[in-house]
Amino acid sequence: MQVIPAIDVLDGRVVRLKKGNFKLSKFFGDNPVKLAKSYSSQGATKLHLINLSGAKNGKLEQDFLKIVRSISENKELAVQVGGGIRSIRDIYKMFEAGAKRIILGTIIFTNPDLVRRAQLLFGKDRIIAALDVQYNEIRIKGWQEGAGISLDTALKQANELGIKSVLITDINCDGMEEGPNVALYREVKEKCPMMQITASGGIRGSSDVRALQNAGCTSAVVGKSLLSGQVTLQQLWGAQSDLAIRIIPCLDISGGRTVKGTKFQNLRDAGDPVELARRYCDEGADELVFLDIGATREERDTVFELASRVAEEVNIPFTIGGGIRSAEDARRLLEAGADKVSINSAAVKRPQLLSDIAEQLGSANTVCAIDARRKGKGWIVLVKGGTEETDRDALLWAKEAVERGAGELLVTSFDRDGTGEGFDTEFLACIKKQVNVPIIASGGAGSLQDFVDAASAGKADALLAASVFHFQKFSISDVKLALSDASFPVRR
Amino acid sequence: MIGILRYSAGNVGSVQRALTRLSIPSRIVEEAGELKELSGLVVPGAGAAKAAMDCLRDRGLVEPLRTFDKPFLGLCLGMQLLFDRSDEGPTECLGVIKGKVQELPSTMTKPHMGWNRLSTGDYAYFVHNYACEPSDLSIVTMTTAYGSDLCAGVQQANFFGVQWHPEKSGDVGDRYLLSFSKLCK
Repeated sequence: MQVIPAIDVLDGRVVRLKKGNFKLSKFFGDNPVKLAKSYSSQGATKLHLINLSGAKNGKLEQDFLKIVRSISENKELAVQVGGGIRSIRDIYKMFEAGAKRIILGTIIFTNPDLVRRAQLLFGKDRIIAALDVQYNEIRIKGWQEGAGISLDTALKQANELGIKSVLITDINCDGMEEGPNVALYREVKEKCPMMQITASGGIRGSSDVRALQNAGCTSAVVGKSLLSGQVTLQQLWGAQSDLAIRIIPCLDISGGRTVKGTKFQNLRDAGDPVELARRYCDEGADELVFLDIGATREERDTVFELASRVAEEVNIPFTIGGGIRSAEDARRLLEAGADKVSINSAAVKRPQLLSDIAEQLGSANTVCAIDARRKGKGWIVLVKGGTEETDRDALLWAKEAVERGAGELLVTSFDRDGTGEGFDTEFLACIKKQVNVPIIASGGAGSLQDFVDAASAGKADALLAASVFHFQKFSISDVKLALSDASFPVRR
Repeated sequence: MIGILRYSAGNVGSVQRALTRLSIPSRIVEEAGELKELSGLVVPGAGAAKAAMDCLRDRGLVEPLRTFDKPFLGLCLGMQLLFDRSDEGPTECLGVIKGKVQELPSTMTKPHMGWNRLSTGDYAYFVHNYACEPSDLSIVTMTTAYGSDLCAGVQQANFFGVQWHPEKSGDVGDRYLLSFSKLCK
């Protein structure tokens, strides 16, 4: 599934219409070339560029060709262009300006002979047919006129012309940010299984993209939602994957037993860690985290034995944190069978420790845990189990930790930890903006919706909780079901 | 007996524990001389390609591994080392399989960490920053989608490789290791 950002151009400016209505147009700046550059720098390899002035009046102006030419100077970006292409001469000019593929709408229906000639001259692979539908009727000339034929008839015509790729837009969805017409695409795919379908109109985010992929679309064009900031390209790239949101039960350990309290106080006994680990593994946990909160050296030494006992019992990855003071401690834990080690206060005190561990044992095995609390407009790093404030800004620390080699961040909000009021999604999203490693959300899980919110608004890659699982408020499969209902991939 | 190769870049412990859990007899090997007695070899991997290759060269393991004629299973970095070369370093690798190992694009969250769906339909546990690009696509046994389709498994003659970690992939991983062990006679 490929996501293609779209730019619609009207009189040289970037515009979005609602349902193709020129009266409901909203402008987003007057520099399509700059916007294309920005999409490319965010990882786009294709761009969908529409000449709305041309679509409406059937003319290909020099100004638009200039835009195509400037955008196409970027060799990393393959541009597909449509709107107002009515003659072989127009097509030639578009390719000459640097377009990689052209999108034909109106002339598919008004001048099929011309389409055949274009296919012979330029190749079938370079031509996409745009089928723009409203209430099952095809609309042409910038959607201003009905073509008097149904989508079925249009598909038949496209097939007869030997068109391999169609772009189907449900006009009623376009620019509305209310979701695409998934059923329509599924129907088309069933009727024309060999056709490559690009969906366009109303796509809001990753879950829409995934739904379209399941319906059989090969690519999806996204315009308005990117401009309005409802979704970022980075998030949409994530949709081109089935990487599951990980559910991670966390076991706080002290002297070899699992404990859980509120804000690290009033600790209650929650059972034997190995037994719990196995139970969670059987229930579908994707990973486990053990945090050793034992105060004394003797209590902490039990953790090495714990690591090897867990490794013998479970067949999923697990992380151990707490009390790791040196790269040697970390190495011993990995050797004992842990997959990753998590460093918290010790790294704040001596950031070089993170660099040492990452260098000697690999970034992928090095997790930096960040405990933080809101202060003023930002968040401040806490140490010693949240009992002591530092003067470090949490977002800057997150960035530094990753630069030093942390391959993952375990982010705990102490405003929320143990309260069951939900994850601090704003904090999570701010951290995620700073770094490009996976983020584990922690602190505050109380309801199933909290998990969905941390994945959607918080953009977390993994979700960690303790009490709700230990005290069986709900099960891991309940959480996975809630996420799956919200269209997030989960491992079953 | 299946050998597990211990070198600079191994999560030998996890692999050994997984085999023990599955009642598959195994022992850790370090020297070229030890390879001859084995019925199969698992090459685990975590860490950087260049350091791993330097270690294999220093120990004189490159040729013995290239010519290993029993079932060979490379896990994660262990699979990447089978290719001609890796951009991680960069370094020349074992050159058993034609192709190269390239870094994942910076537009994706890295490492590619967690459970991703294989083209077989199963979910498997991945942790990596680099991915294999075989010249001959017919050796690809499975793929997974992460931005684009990544090579998740290969087989060329007696050489098998998976980009994911069967030792950490729940029942799916257990099944994979068991079927590999059955090939080792």
